Amino acid sequence: MEIRKILFVTKFEDLCYDALNSLLSLQKAFLDHVVFLNVIERDKVSMRRGKGYLKEEEVKLKEMANIRFIDWAENLFEMGLEVGAYMEVSSLIPEILRVVEKESPDLIVIGHSHKGVLEQLYTGSEVTELIRRITVPILVFKHMVEDKIVPEKLFARPLFATNWSETGEKAVEYIKDMKNVIGEIHIMHVVKEAALKSSDTHGVQKVRKVERKRLDDLCDELEDAGINARPHVYVGDPQKEIIKAAKEYQASMIILGSSDKAAILERWVGSVSKNIADKSIFPCLLIPGDKINC
Amino acid sequence: MSKKVLVVDDDPDVRSFVVTVLEENLYIPLVARDGVEGLEMIEKASPDLVILDVLMPRGSGIRLYRHLKTDPVFKNLPVIMFTGIALRSFLKSQKALDEFKGGKIPMPEIYLEKPVEPEELVRAIQKKIG
Repeated sequence: MEIRKILFVTKFEDLCYDALNSLLSLQKAFLDHVVFLNVIERDKVSMRRGKGYLKEEEVKLKEMANIRFIDWAENLFEMGLEVGAYMEVSSLIPEILRVVEKESPDLIVIGHSHKGVLEQLYTGSEVTELIRRITVPILVFKHMVEDKIVPEKLFARPLFATNWSETGEKAVEYIKDMKNVIGEIHIMHVVKEAALKSSDTHGVQKVRKVERKRLDDLCDELEDAGINARPHVYVGDPQKEIIKAAKEYQASMIILGSSDKAAILERWVGSVSKNIADKSIFPCLLIPGDKINC
Repeated sequence: MSKKVLVVDDDPDVRSFVVTVLEENLYIPLVARDGVEGLEMIEKASPDLVILDVLMPRGSGIRLYRHLKTDPVFKNLPVIMFTGIALRSFLKSQKALDEFKGGKIPMPEIYLEKPVEPEELVRAIQKKIG
């Protein structure tokens, strides 16, 4: 059977761009169209006593998904693929069924169930329920070995996470000097969730647009210097999102400006760059600032 | 006579924003929720202008734009791209499709990255259809 269209169901936990990327070899099997689906479970935005329906939360969650999907879609569009996306507040299985009805995919890709053993015992797993109700093949995606990524060429595909600080600017100059060894660099900025507080999509999209423009300008600057660069906007906790991006884009290393925090403060609460260097599985290149904190 | 403007976008908030802008400026708004509905509406209602999103279910704006610009009947229909997808990616995607599908298509004359202020949208519409 020709696999022309994939429905990629993601909660952004275990099924991200790296999983999608690993499926793109299906282009040899006629893959031409990828449809993303993110289902925001109703209980995340449902009525709370004294608060009513959480409209702001719905806008925020949908736009967070939208930002991720735009980033993924841009990559796929550039490869000549057709891309579609759904972000809905609903229940997972009924929503998958609705989208299957509309899109008629040839394959559904889904992460493994997050239900607990007891919950599965009573309600069954999502996969079991899907198999029972549709005839489309389902690929249950799992990472074979968690976190086992071994970079063959350290500078082939670095990820540079910038917070637009002084040390970030210094890192850019450092990167330019490495133009002969860098294959393709991914550049990201993480928008904190607090910056997305707005009751309408306009306000939230504006934040993304501004950050994306800054990243585009930086990419242009690096491309002028002879380095192939790709921009990405993420939302959430910087430490988690940087590691997530490094995995999604199979980064060979992470480049970070080191913390501007005073040493005593860093010792107590840590810093994003330090925590990533300490805890992630990726090699990290830390670019220090000019001033010495003590 | 008022001119008809079709907005093709899957986001209800965006559709309602564009429809409001159109009504306030005495255009007749038409709406479609995805690329497939968009093409049906173009064939059925013959709009004077299309305001087109890119990332949508059931047919993206990239393919619909390409379809319109390679169709002898619709190739002169004015299109304003109105999307969160960066122009840079749009151009690269069309370049990739040029290679796969053959034939170059003209680049969009107006490409607006979301969000825009109402005045900017009105200026773009007026530039295309007066």
